[in-house]
Amino acid sequence: MLKVEGVAYHYPGGADVLADVTFSAGPGEVLALVGRNGAGKSTLLRLLNGLRKPTRGTITVDGMNTADTPVHLVSRAIGTVFQAPEQQIFNATVRDEVMFGPRNLPIPPEERERRVAEALARTRLEAFGKHHPLDLDQARRRFVALASVLATGPAALLLDEPQRGLDARNAALLEEIVRAEQAAGRCIVIVCHDMEFVARLATRVIALAEGRLSADLPPLAFFTDPALTAQASVEAPDMVRLSTALSLPPVLDPAAFAAAWPPLPPQFRKS
Amino acid sequence: MALIDVRALSFGYGAAGPLVLDRLSLTIEAGERVAILGGNGSGKTTLAHWLAGWLPRPGMEPRGGEMLAEGRPFPQWSALDRATAVQFVGQVPMQQLSGFAFTVYDEIVFGPGNLGLPAEEIRARAEAVIEACNLRHLLDRDPFTLSGGEQQRLSIAAALVMRPKILVLDEPTGNFDPESRDSLLDQIRRLPADLTIVLCDVALKPALAVAHRFVLLDEGRIVADGSAHDVFRHPAAAAVFGVPAVAEAAALLRAAGRWPAAAELPLTLAAATALFREAAAC
Repeated sequence: MLKVEGVAYHYPGGADVLADVTFSAGPGEVLALVGRNGAGKSTLLRLLNGLRKPTRGTITVDGMNTADTPVHLVSRAIGTVFQAPEQQIFNATVRDEVMFGPRNLPIPPEERERRVAEALARTRLEAFGKHHPLDLDQARRRFVALASVLATGPAALLLDEPQRGLDARNAALLEEIVRAEQAAGRCIVIVCHDMEFVARLATRVIALAEGRLSADLPPLAFFTDPALTAQASVEAPDMVRLSTALSLPPVLDPAAFAAAWPPLPPQFRKS
Repeated sequence: MALIDVRALSFGYGAAGPLVLDRLSLTIEAGERVAILGGNGSGKTTLAHWLAGWLPRPGMEPRGGEMLAEGRPFPQWSALDRATAVQFVGQVPMQQLSGFAFTVYDEIVFGPGNLGLPAEEIRARAEAVIEACNLRHLLDRDPFTLSGGEQQRLSIAAALVMRPKILVLDEPTGNFDPESRDSLLDQIRRLPADLTIVLCDVALKPALAVAHRFVLLDEGRIVADGSAHDVFRHPAAAAVFGVPAVAEAAALLRAAGRWPAAAELPLTLAAATALFREAAAC
């Protein structure tokens, strides 16, 4: 679904921001794109959605080469939720914002309505359809941007720091939506600095360091390699650090930890 | 006289919009480091705008109560006095670059230049904030070409160079990698002790690094005001901060009868490591 082959990119007059990046991703995969500030993550995102074209190499999205496909066609296959929702919201009401994508697709009006209603329901925005998106709090603005992408039904999703600034309740809703999209066979790429979030959702970690791919590994393999995490300026999730500190086999989640934890000695057991 | 005195302040956007701040009272003394925590839509950013003097403004008046800075409401202050009393650094640093500066140095001296200060004074102030915010290697760069973390440091420098009494920070480290976040928090922590800092955030970690006093907002009201512990224990906290994975692991063990019922659930990695080590050693 996503194929990145030998991709390099430099901004006009600048040095390479990305050099020789290669990876691919299929349906149902959740890729976490990690790396320190300035590693090239946002640039890679803008290459994946066709806003920028690689200087070298090729990017294929759902069979389309982004270098010679108009951006509006690439964006039907790969929807992007940018870091700041203000960067992509431009309609006067939440409903119009979410309808913008479907209105520009060759689908019947009733299907457009159905998609908008479903996207608003999934993001818990039904009651805010008539509001101006920028009158909403930061979390709801983020969900407006996400709803407008979901309503277009893309094959792949790019989410740039989607959990940033969300409280636990909204982060849980975001996770629920990502899992549902994954189950529906979408390919999802998440740029993220929150490794607890990555540990819960990602099937693979793609790490960038100084414009190059430094890792393409399952989360546990990545988080248990101190050299790789240091290079990407990543803090391993607490469960990995806790299990490692206690000389247990490393685990990602609390349930796996509880299963691995030895039974308590007699004085701690219930009588 | 308190530096900041918010008295039963009620405020909503527009004439009929819902209340964002609901009879909120808060006193902040000079030199305090206060974290204002809360979930999305709890009123943090609106309160930050009041503390920074951006509110009230025409058409956005309080529906009750008032906010006083050194005993006077901000609308009674001159723009000059207000700019030197309080500075605000928001969530998106690029939005607060002046747009009038082609280099980082020019951005730093833009504010004091507008105060009409003598050149020597401006240079001395700039030197101090360049050091405090670790910007020396970036002085000739175009502010708009900096990374997000660098721009945020520049925004803080441009605020500090005004020598405010209060610095209001609204989620200053939201999109930083851990290294940049820790480095910025360290720089904030080392700012002059007489500077009053108000940090608004949805995350506990930056607050723990900077603040001595923790306030929890819920639906426009203060529901906890004290230590981090006081805030974390409040029933509203779980929807804001979630349950740490280490506490969840301990809770699972407790449910299975494999964690002493009396032992407190650990909230931090350090506490969990110590507790589990202790249990393993028994």
